[in-house]
Amino acid sequence: MNKNSKRVLGAVAAVTLVLGTVAVTSAQAATKTVTLVYQGPLTGTDAQTGQDEFLGAQTAVQMYNDTNPAVKVKLIQADDQGDGAVAGTVAPGIAANKAVIGVVGPAYSGASIASFPSYKATRLTMVSPSATRVTLTDTKSPDNGYPFFHRVVGNDALQGPAVVRWSIDGVDSPKVYVIDDQTPYGTGLAQAAVAYIKLKKINQVGSDSVVQKTSDYSATVSKIKASKANVVIYTGYYPDGGALAKSLNDNGWNGVFAGGDGVLNDAFIDVAGKAAAEGAKFTAPAVPFETAASAAQQAAFTKATGLKTAAGHVYVTETFNATNVFISCIKLGKVTRAGIQSCVATGTFFALDGKTILKFTRQGEVVGGAPVGGFQVVKGIIKYFGAV
Amino acid sequence: MNFSVVVSQFWPLLINGLALGFIYVLISLGYTMVYGVLRLINFANSEIFMVGTFATVIVSRNFFGFNQDTDPLSGFKLFFAMGACLVASMLVSGVTAVIVELVAYRRLRAKGTNRLASLISAIGVSIILQEGVRILTHSVPMSNPRLLRKFSVVTFGDVGIRVDTLLVIVFAAVLFFSVDRFVNKTLLGKAIRAVSMSEETSKLMGINLNRVISATFLIGGSMTGAAAFLYETVYENTKYNVGFSIGLAAFTAAVLGGIGNLRGAFYGGLSLGLLEQFAAAILGTQWKAVTVFLVLVMVLLFKPNGLFGEAVQQTRV
Repeated sequence: MNKNSKRVLGAVAAVTLVLGTVAVTSAQAATKTVTLVYQGPLTGTDAQTGQDEFLGAQTAVQMYNDTNPAVKVKLIQADDQGDGAVAGTVAPGIAANKAVIGVVGPAYSGASIASFPSYKATRLTMVSPSATRVTLTDTKSPDNGYPFFHRVVGNDALQGPAVVRWSIDGVDSPKVYVIDDQTPYGTGLAQAAVAYIKLKKINQVGSDSVVQKTSDYSATVSKIKASKANVVIYTGYYPDGGALAKSLNDNGWNGVFAGGDGVLNDAFIDVAGKAAAEGAKFTAPAVPFETAASAAQQAAFTKATGLKTAAGHVYVTETFNATNVFISCIKLGKVTRAGIQSCVATGTFFALDGKTILKFTRQGEVVGGAPVGGFQVVKGIIKYFGAV
Repeated sequence: MNFSVVVSQFWPLLINGLALGFIYVLISLGYTMVYGVLRLINFANSEIFMVGTFATVIVSRNFFGFNQDTDPLSGFKLFFAMGACLVASMLVSGVTAVIVELVAYRRLRAKGTNRLASLISAIGVSIILQEGVRILTHSVPMSNPRLLRKFSVVTFGDVGIRVDTLLVIVFAAVLFFSVDRFVNKTLLGKAIRAVSMSEETSKLMGINLNRVISATFLIGGSMTGAAAFLYETVYENTKYNVGFSIGLAAFTAAVLGGIGNLRGAFYGGLSLGLLEQFAAAILGTQWKAVTVFLVLVMVLLFKPNGLFGEAVQQTRV
C-alpha cells in the first residue's frame, strides 16, 4: 500500500468515524426518553377513579409520542390506592427515581398530603388532576405542597358551594343533612359546603361523620329520617356513598342524595343499586372528555386506550390537561426536574379544547379557577348538566 | 347530644341494633369457640366471614345467574335460592376454617410451640386470605343481587321494620340456640366442653383431640358463614376487606361477653349492636367507636374476664 493509498484510507476511516459518531449521536438523540409518573388509586376500593384518570394520561402521552418528537415520554403508574398510608410508602420510591421528571397526580388529597415530604425534598413537580382539598395550596397550612404542587381543577372552596347549589336545585323548602367520611377530602369538602349553607342561610337540619368502610349506616339513616331532611350531601367516596344511598332507599327515604367528585363514578350505581342511585346528583370540577374533545382527540383516545368512548370515565379531561402541562414543557426542552418546575410554575398552557388557558398562581391553583360541573343519574346513566 | 332521635326512631334503632348484634353474635361464636378449646384468638375468623360473603354473592350471580336487574324472587324460588346461598356460605366458611386449623395451627400445636407463634400464624393466614381475594377480585367491591324484596313487616307510626332485619334476628337466634343446645346436650358437644376445660384430662378420657378441634372450627366457621349470608341479605355488598371492621367488632363482642363462653358471645354481641346504634344516634357516629371501647375498658376494669367470662363454667365450650 503506497503513501497516497494510506492517506485515502485514513481519510475514509476518519470520515467514517465522524459520520458514525454523528449517526450514533443522532440515534441517541432520537431515542431520548423522559419519564412521567401517574399516581393515583389503581387498586383498592377506589381503583376505578385511578384507572379512569390513567386513560387521560395515556391519551396525552400517545398523542405526543406519535409526533415522533426528539424527546419521547415514558408514562409509568404508581398505585397509592388513594390512601395516605399507602402513598407515604410509594412516594419515596418515585422521588428516588432520577428518571422521573414529573408526577401527574396524586389523585387524592389524603395521598397528596402523605406524598408531599418526599416530592418537596427531591424537588419533584406535581400537577394533580383531581386533588381538591383547599389546604393543599394554602401556604399557611402545615399540609401544603408549595411550591411543587399544582392542580388543574378547582378546589373544594368552589366545589362545596356548587354541591349545595346543585343538590337543592328544584327542591322546595330544602332541609339539608351533611355527612362526611372523616378523610381529609371528605371533611374539607363538608366544611366548604356547610360554610356556604350558613352564608346563604339554607336550612341545615343535621350532620354526621361516618368513618370509611362502615358496613351499617342504619343509625345515620334513622337520624336523617328523624330530622325530616329532604337533601343529603355526602362528602366521601363512592364505595361508602353507594352503601349509604342503598341504606337510605331501603329504609324508605325519598329525598335527593348528592355528593362531590369522590362519589361521581359508575361504580356508585353498582354499589347502591339502580333504584337507590336513580336521581342522585354529583358535582365535580371536571368536564367529560367526550363533551370537550375534538374528533381527532376522540380518535386518539380510542387508539391509546382501546376504548370506543370516554363516557362513564371520570377526570379523563383533567388528567389529559395535567399530563399536557408537562408535555408542553418537554416540548420547550425542559427535561430536568428543575427545568420542569420553573416551566410549570411560570408557563402558560392550554386545556383540551385548545382555547382555555391554564396558568398557575404562585400557590399552584389555576388562575381564575376552574368550572364545577353538575351530574345526575338519569335512567341508570350518569349525565352531565354543565357548569353549576 | 340528640335524644330526640331516640324518641322518634326508637324502634328502628332497636331492631337494627338487634339485627347487627345478632350478626356479631354468630361471628363471635367463631372466635369464642376456638378460644374455648385452644386458648387461641383466631384472627383469621374475619376472613372466614369475608369468604362466606363472597360464596353467597358468587352462588347468586354465577350459579343462579342473577344480576342487579333481576327482580326479587318469591315462593319456592326465593326459598331455594336463599337456601342454596346459605348452605354455600356456611359450607365454604366452615371448610375454610377447618383447613386454616389444619395448615396454620395443628402442626404448631403438635410441636408444642408457644401461643405467640400460633397468634402470628393466625394473623398471617388472615393477611394471606385477604390479599388473595384482593388480587383475585382486583380490589373491586361486588354487589349482591337482591333476592328478597325489602318490605316493611311491622309499622310503628311512620316507621317500618323491614323483613330482612327481622329475618336476621329470628334466624340468627335459632342458629345460636341450636349451637348452644348442641354443645350442651350432645356427645360431641360434651367432648368440646371437656377439651375446653382440660385438654390433658380429655385426652386421658379417650377423647380424640384433633377431631374435636376440627369439629369446633367447623361449627364456628359455619356460624360465621351464616352471619356472612345474613350480612349479604341486608347490606348486599362485599369486598376483600369487608371482614376487618365487622370481625373486630365481633371479637370485641366476644371479649365483652367473656371470650370462651357461648352465652357471653350472645350477650356481648347484642350489647355491642345496641350500644353502637344508640351511641351513633345520640352522640354522633364519630363517637361510636370511642363509646364502645370506653364501655369495654370499663367492663374489663371491673370484670377482667368479661361479663360472663368465668361465671358460667357449664356453658363454656
